[in-house]
Amino acid sequence: MEAAVSIRRLSKKYGDFLALDNINLGVEEGKLFAILGPNGAGKTTLLRILTTQFEPTAGEAFVLGKNVVSQSEELRKLISYVPQEMSVWTDISGYENLLIYSKIYGLPAATRKDSIKDSMELMDLSDVANNLVSTYSGGMIRKLELACAVMIKPKILFLDEPTIGLDPATRKTIWEKLKALNRESGMDVFFSTHYMDEADNYADEIGIINHGKLIKVASPYELKRSVGYDRIEIETDSEPSKHALADLKRLNGVKKVELEGNEVTISAKDSAALLDVIIECLLANKVHVRKISARQPTIDDVFLKYAGAKESKKAPVQLADVKKFRDRIRRG
Amino acid sequence: MREYIRIMLSMIELEIRRIMHDRTELYLRAVQPMLWLVIFGPVMGSLKVIPTGGVPYTDYIMPGVLVQSTTTVAIFFGLVMIWERESGILKKLVSSPSPGFAIVVGRSMAAGTRALFQALLIIPFAVLIGVRLLPNFLYIILALVIVFVASSGFAALSILIASILKTRERFMGLGQVIILPMFFGSNALYPLKSMPPLLQLFASINPMTYMVDATRGLLITGDTSQLALDIVAILIFDALLFLLASWSFKRIIE
Repeated sequence: MEAAVSIRRLSKKYGDFLALDNINLGVEEGKLFAILGPNGAGKTTLLRILTTQFEPTAGEAFVLGKNVVSQSEELRKLISYVPQEMSVWTDISGYENLLIYSKIYGLPAATRKDSIKDSMELMDLSDVANNLVSTYSGGMIRKLELACAVMIKPKILFLDEPTIGLDPATRKTIWEKLKALNRESGMDVFFSTHYMDEADNYADEIGIINHGKLIKVASPYELKRSVGYDRIEIETDSEPSKHALADLKRLNGVKKVELEGNEVTISAKDSAALLDVIIECLLANKVHVRKISARQPTIDDVFLKYAGAKESKKAPVQLADVKKFRDRIRRG
Repeated sequence: MREYIRIMLSMIELEIRRIMHDRTELYLRAVQPMLWLVIFGPVMGSLKVIPTGGVPYTDYIMPGVLVQSTTTVAIFFGLVMIWERESGILKKLVSSPSPGFAIVVGRSMAAGTRALFQALLIIPFAVLIGVRLLPNFLYIILALVIVFVASSGFAALSILIASILKTRERFMGLGQVIILPMFFGSNALYPLKSMPPLLQLFASINPMTYMVDATRGLLITGDTSQLALDIVAILIFDALLFLLASWSFKRIIE
């Protein structure tokens, strides 16, 4: 079987800034693949190289076995791409957008009307088909863009932050539709996101990227298992003494104790059995617990472990990106 | 080839649909040429200082005013490209199977279409205020074709500029700086012979001169002795800018 995406030693430089740093990646066909990382990690750059918008500085990339540089023309017939920013014309209707895109993509005239109708129905847009896009909400615009993208029946769909700025209910419907499309018609989906929960819930495989480096690729389950421990977070009245922390560390089953101000984070094997003992231990050290919570590892923890920080501080977040993001939220 | 035509027609259809939904821009942009015809033409004409070969001055400048307003529409089409760059439309288009050249020529012709609609507002207005057009239907059609083709070339120029300047603010500034020198450095308001030699030289490489000469011959004077030269000059201008614009087009999204 051909790989959906195959990347070897790929790098991209903007001047002195290394946006992608020696990426190697293989994604099988038929999967929903998430590339997860903070703003400015290199997600968009990677997607834009894979969709043949510009060339990498070094290395090579193949999509469906086609080289993104030397076979870009053939490749463009097989893919569909939804950029992070709005990609429909707002001064014509939703139907007209699909009509124009269907003509640009050269859908056969005989089946064009049906394709448009089907994709509008799929994205629940039939009722507003003839309204101007400028009257749509952010969620409707995103659905229209997805309708454009799936209308041409691509082999692989690239989505750049597809649910950015959308409300949870809309995010959920969009993902369920994409998942169904992937399962039913075998369309590969390669998407970027910085929402941990989306990667966790909908991706078959996740690639974690930060500072242009691909740090880890695995299924959500494997990733969570690789973190290993439950996390117990405790907020205390006062900063616990060194003695108290040492006592905590000695407790049976505790792996690691970290302190940040009045917040203690404990990594442990079986959190449920430990809560009582931990509170007792803290009280014995005259530290009062204000809040305590225990949870199994999540993708957040995975991300913290592999990417080190939630926000990438070094990466230059462009003003334009922030503006675009805000624009989308405002449309909400 | 068929693919290129399909994409160009899609782009033109898109533009017509946009115009059908909202014609405000066209109406507002028609105000300025109307002022030239209603105020500047009669006032200057009454002084009788410009040799027009016996044609009333307002009639004489009507093709120039028409050309100026249609090229303005085309030049400001670059703003649409900048908007499409800031949104994700251009990114989506370059990842589509459409060749860059077809996208650029298609978008240019879309602007040419918008310019054509502008001409269809100005010409009847001119007739209404008493400008006498040659009663030759074929000539009028040919003049409109020339307006369409030449405006498409100007739109390609604006795409080229947009791909270099990239932001709305810079573009707004430059748009005016291009149109007015071309307008004053052409035969739109006065014959070439009345210009100083240096300006005549500029006028001879100014595409607007050829547009004005062609449309004036076809709409007003009937003098088509230079028409073939005009058409060749406009086609060279178009070909050059289509090539330059599609060459720089990919840079617009980087």
